[in-house]
Amino acid sequence: MKLWLTMIFLAVSTVFAGGPGDGWPTYHGDYSGRRHSALTQITPANVGGLTLAWAFQTSQTAAIKSSSLVVDGVMYFTVPDNVWAVDARSGQQIWHYTYPPNKGLHIGHRGLGMYKDWLFFLTPDAHLVSLNANDGKVRWTVEVADATKGYWTTMAPLIVENHVIIGVSGDFDNLRGFLRSVDPETGKTQWEWDSTPPAGTPNATTGGMTWMTGTYDSSLDLIYWGTGNPTPVLTATTRPGDDLYTCSIVALRPETGKLAWAFQASPHDTHDWDAAEVPVLVDGNFDGAPRKMLMQASRNGYFFVLDRATGKSLLSAPFGPVNWSLGVDAKGQPVPNPKKEPAPDGRLIAPDEGGLTNYRSPSFDPKTGLFLVSSHPSWSVYFAKPADGTYGWAGADYGVWGKAVLEAIDYQTGKPRWTHELGPNGSGAGVLTTDSGLAFTGDAHGNFLALETASGKTLWHAGTGSRMETSPETYELDGRQYVLTSSGGVVFAWALPER
Amino acid sequence: MKVRIEVVLLIWSAPVLAQQASIDSGPVVFRRDCAFCHGRDGGGGESGPDLTRSKLVGDDKGGSTIGPLVREGRPDRGMPAFHLSDEDLAGVVAFLHAQATKAEANKGGRKGVDEADLLTGNAEAGKRYFEQACARCHSVTGDLAGLAGRLHGLRLEERMLYPRNAKSTVTVTLPDGETLSGELVYLDEFTVALKEASGKHRSWRTTDVKYTVSSPAEAHVELLPKYTDEDVHNLVAYLETLR
Repeated sequence: MKLWLTMIFLAVSTVFAGGPGDGWPTYHGDYSGRRHSALTQITPANVGGLTLAWAFQTSQTAAIKSSSLVVDGVMYFTVPDNVWAVDARSGQQIWHYTYPPNKGLHIGHRGLGMYKDWLFFLTPDAHLVSLNANDGKVRWTVEVADATKGYWTTMAPLIVENHVIIGVSGDFDNLRGFLRSVDPETGKTQWEWDSTPPAGTPNATTGGMTWMTGTYDSSLDLIYWGTGNPTPVLTATTRPGDDLYTCSIVALRPETGKLAWAFQASPHDTHDWDAAEVPVLVDGNFDGAPRKMLMQASRNGYFFVLDRATGKSLLSAPFGPVNWSLGVDAKGQPVPNPKKEPAPDGRLIAPDEGGLTNYRSPSFDPKTGLFLVSSHPSWSVYFAKPADGTYGWAGADYGVWGKAVLEAIDYQTGKPRWTHELGPNGSGAGVLTTDSGLAFTGDAHGNFLALETASGKTLWHAGTGSRMETSPETYELDGRQYVLTSSGGVVFAWALPER
Repeated sequence: MKVRIEVVLLIWSAPVLAQQASIDSGPVVFRRDCAFCHGRDGGGGESGPDLTRSKLVGDDKGGSTIGPLVREGRPDRGMPAFHLSDEDLAGVVAFLHAQATKAEANKGGRKGVDEADLLTGNAEAGKRYFEQACARCHSVTGDLAGLAGRLHGLRLEERMLYPRNAKSTVTVTLPDGETLSGELVYLDEFTVALKEASGKHRSWRTTDVKYTVSSPAEAHVELLPKYTDEDVHNLVAYLETLR
């Protein structure tokens, strides 16, 4: 019994204290979604010497938006229809897989899931392909959803035990959202959880797409997922009420897909504000008591802290300009202001449709208790009129102004301890923190930045030639720590000079 | 003789076939590369504007304005460059013109913002707001004289809320005390760059110089949290009277 408990404890601490270790085996690095690493070779004192170890060029125009897996010295990354295996020591290509030309939406691709020696890759036309990691050969392909109806897929599958958990995208049609678990051996469906009722259900929403990778707590045996916006997107006449479970954070059992609890970040959304952003799992004190928490900086502009065992709210606070809500209710859920729904003559709304944050990953730094998020203070005008109909987008919105700011939020108050301006419009770069006190991110111009986590002070930078649309990660090989970033069609591996 | 005829036929048929192929590929390429932001029908989607009512599309003649924009992108507005083949580009251009024509023929039954949609405000109230909030920098007999003759509807409202392409100027003081002024062309934490009146590009490390940026358009950003929706509609109604 005691040994068993020790083993459980070790397993938990690997996930929650140790970070991803010396590789980067999942989209977020580990199950917690903190994007925080225990590697400490690169420090605030020596980061000024950071230099390029190697770069890899895809020679394609598609911008890299994926996080690379790094397993046993090999990294695997993607753009739509393409997977590369690259030697993480040298940047040399091992193999390159291309999926056949197809009519799916090619907006971006987030990466892969890995189980044993098998990779799992989703395609623009909503198929799941399993590849052999050694040579990139196809094991099997299964259809996930009907692309001709308007589904597509971009996300990196989450692997929990023998479950390959996959989500879908599709905002231009009134489609049901779902999360599905697939058998890694065969591709057969194990379970499906539907976020919304079937299309055509009267007075009900569709949507609730599941287009980002969730997180997992083995001790509570729950996976956590953020769901997307309802459809029709900007017009709500056909979907009165809260529109469950769109714009929600849900906790599901990985064995069965059964819902344990749900928290709705944006009840009755009419602004395209997915709650798909990373549900970050943190163990620590809140109001003086130890808690198992879930934190999300949500696209609608609210920073949420929940008790992840129950889904009960601990904190809900805007982290930038937000003018669409009447405050939060007893459950900690924002109450939308009906006067700020899209209208024929337009409504001035903060934030804009891209949201106060989005797909770019935040990072939690345990030493400082700071939640670092690349935010986008912004304003926009939203329109909808009966002539826009009730299918798909059903309205129009126009960004007015925005900028990019890195915020270091104290999770106990929701207030930033420091902010760091990142430039005009927005930045697509996520954040990585390390135990040595470093934070890595990118600005709106394409600079890769190393900051001191405690203060936000810039310690090092390099221009990369294109705006980053990825979140940095780190790994160690041969005793050398690498920091991985991508921008445009290039992967950069940064390290200290070899001695 | 027979051979010659076949050659002539080939010469004639090849471009026709290519054109046909490009029109067919247009919707496919548009859906693959453009639809996420601009909507599958080109009528606007996530973050991208309605192209069926775009001035740039309206002004386009066989790819004259769409082509360069697609190939160069508009990085400052989040649009990447797309390196489409000539054939695919021609397909996208043809598709957009077809969608614009379809939209034009379908007035009132489609999304998009009409000038009439925006005219719900009170011009008198807009005038009062203008005098109190805007007249510090703008004059209806000066820079804004005849404004409504140049800008209408949504374009007018967008520009009123924030003039995206407004220029900033910067004055840089070098370590030896010399000062230079010009249009600000780049500024991040590390580098400041200006264009001199002569057109020459100059840049410095921000740590090596002192610099002051003047961005009059930033006054618009300060107003954004202060406006009510009524204020915006009243202002638009007033500005639309400046013929």
